[in-house]
Amino acid sequence: MSNSDARRARLEPLLVSARKIADPHSELGQTARRRLQASSGLSAAGVELALTRCLETAPSEAEIESLIRSTPSAQVAHVLLSANVFVAAHRAIAIALAASERVQVRASRREPDMAELLSSGAPNSFQLVSELTPHAGDRVWAYGRDSTLQDIAVTLPPGVAFHGHGSGFGVGVIHGPLSEQALAELVPRLAEDIVLFDQRGCLSPRVLLVEAGPELARDVARAIALELEHAERAVPRGHMTDQELAEVTTYCASASFSGAVFAAGLGFVSTSERWLLPPVGRNLHVQATDDATQAWSALRPMITSCAFAGSAARRHALEGSLRGARLCDFGRMQSPPFDGPVDLRDL
Amino acid sequence: MTRNVRSDALHAAVRSFAAGDRSRSFEELALDIAAFQAEFSPGFARLLAREQNPLKAVECIPGVPCDAFRMARVAVHPESEDRARFLTSGTTGGARGVHAMRTLDTYRALALGFGRAALLAVPGPRHVVALAPELDAPASSSLGQMMAMFMVDFEERGDFEVRTAARWLMADASVDVAGLARAALRAQEREESLLVLATSFALVALLDALEGRALPLPTSTVVMQTGGFKGKTREVEASTLRARVAAAFGIAQAQIVSEYGMTELTSQLYEATVPGTALQSQLQGAPGVYYEPAWLRVLSVDPVTLLPVAAGEVGIARVIDLGNVDSAVAVQTQDRVRRVAGGVELLGRAPGAPQRGCSLAVEEFMTGHR
Repeated sequence: MSNSDARRARLEPLLVSARKIADPHSELGQTARRRLQASSGLSAAGVELALTRCLETAPSEAEIESLIRSTPSAQVAHVLLSANVFVAAHRAIAIALAASERVQVRASRREPDMAELLSSGAPNSFQLVSELTPHAGDRVWAYGRDSTLQDIAVTLPPGVAFHGHGSGFGVGVIHGPLSEQALAELVPRLAEDIVLFDQRGCLSPRVLLVEAGPELARDVARAIALELEHAERAVPRGHMTDQELAEVTTYCASASFSGAVFAAGLGFVSTSERWLLPPVGRNLHVQATDDATQAWSALRPMITSCAFAGSAARRHALEGSLRGARLCDFGRMQSPPFDGPVDLRDL
Repeated sequence: MTRNVRSDALHAAVRSFAAGDRSRSFEELALDIAAFQAEFSPGFARLLAREQNPLKAVECIPGVPCDAFRMARVAVHPESEDRARFLTSGTTGGARGVHAMRTLDTYRALALGFGRAALLAVPGPRHVVALAPELDAPASSSLGQMMAMFMVDFEERGDFEVRTAARWLMADASVDVAGLARAALRAQEREESLLVLATSFALVALLDALEGRALPLPTSTVVMQTGGFKGKTREVEASTLRARVAAAFGIAQAQIVSEYGMTELTSQLYEATVPGTALQSQLQGAPGVYYEPAWLRVLSVDPVTLLPVAAGEVGIARVIDLGNVDSAVAVQTQDRVRRVAGGVELLGRAPGAPQRGCSLAVEEFMTGHR
């Protein structure tokens, strides 16, 4: 068996496990829904939507090939998971399996469910451990806050390669005027990108930059607010902590002072000339700008994903300035190709 | 009446109130200023529109969040009329808030009035130095501006140039230990009392530089410490810092007094610990309890509903500052507070929501205090 075939074979049980989890009729799928709803804070419909749209159960041949090609091999692959959006565990373990036949995973103590579910569906694929003990020749893939990753990186023994994937956020860019039909198609897609994981993913859009004047920006803000209102009924927002709610309260007051705020279900959509990052919980800031790259210049390193609608030329230009971030269509922000880490930034 | 005529009248009324005139109450003045700001600040008018009875009572005036100073201009007047622009610290996104002032007269009157009451213990000649970077020109730091005002006013030698290296004993995050020793010697030789104005960060840097050695200051020395450690190398608990500074300087812990201020405010709060000061004589305050001047009131509010919490419960501070005539009479901070008899306990900044997922946390995005 070639090295590539061996790697591919190691991935298959994990994918089978993911399919069982995604299947609402399987025992594992039912257990997953119960456990993930409790640990993620998402509503039942929120968990279902995430499993349906974002858990990679059937990646294409090209994606698998790309995942294998882009993953360096290791004696032992170690995975340190954070309390991330739950589907992230699947991709993280897949990367490790592509790297080595020996994979050790330390799940988040706060949210261990997805790693345990995947393990129970693929019992011999990887080992769940309470502590990672990497040695020279091993690789560590760690996910979490940037400050945590920096702490880990400096404590690893010599000869251990480190791959850190930190936090970030997504943006949307609309370039030029959009037809009514194009806008009508775009808005529900963006709303779904926002609704997924109640915006707790590092790909989740928090800001929409409109390169088409303030009037369109305001129209889009209104339309998205309305769409999020509808989405609230279909996929209710899950539980928010008091601290999260406090951040929403404060941001909402600041946004009201500085511009317009539209109610959007339990979240809001704001518009104003200047912006700060809105908190998670289905909140979006919409800003008109002549040049999105200028509007995000100071925040560029934190952008992991960008949805785009507009001309091919502008898309090409943005691609050039978004290296390390994933550029995609609206509605695809939370389902990037299964070709490696979702976060392509070099931390 | 035009905007500026009304503004000038309100400023005069606030200064008069601070000087002891009670012909108009705190509540009347606060509500008058809020009504004035509602008329000339569209942002504040939008905040009011969200409330049911916004100007019924002081407690009903919505606080302008500190973040709003980063997102918009918080002023009733145009930039062309700015007399000073004080900047807040930056965020990861680069945004810095601005507190624009159309006049510094009220700031001067209020800061000096309460500063004297809290800091000046003994009569007679005095020397004032700052463990802080030299004041820039034009001043962009409200803290630096206040320190400069204290130097000139408290020494009572008339006007003089404060921008000298002998006054500002910090540069590039390191403290001029020799400069402080010289200031102490000068105070001793001239029989002056010494007032040291310092950020908490500077005091930690000083202790680090001393490496356990003492730097005796005249026993009557008063140290004003202010500010937190946000974005700095490490934090030291307040009571520990107070004890270590007192030991290093050879002064009583009671002579180290904490001040609470923010760029977004015009007025300050102080502990009432320094023996011989007007504030201590009146209140005999314990360390950790901050007292408001008559022209400022701290409301403890629920961080989610922004409604006042019950007496004695922890909330976040909404500060009603009559000095903010031209900006925001009510400022909503994220600082956790608890009202205690006559004063306020400061319990640190409300922590950001713990991360659940990999989405960038607001706390990671934001930094900054004064």
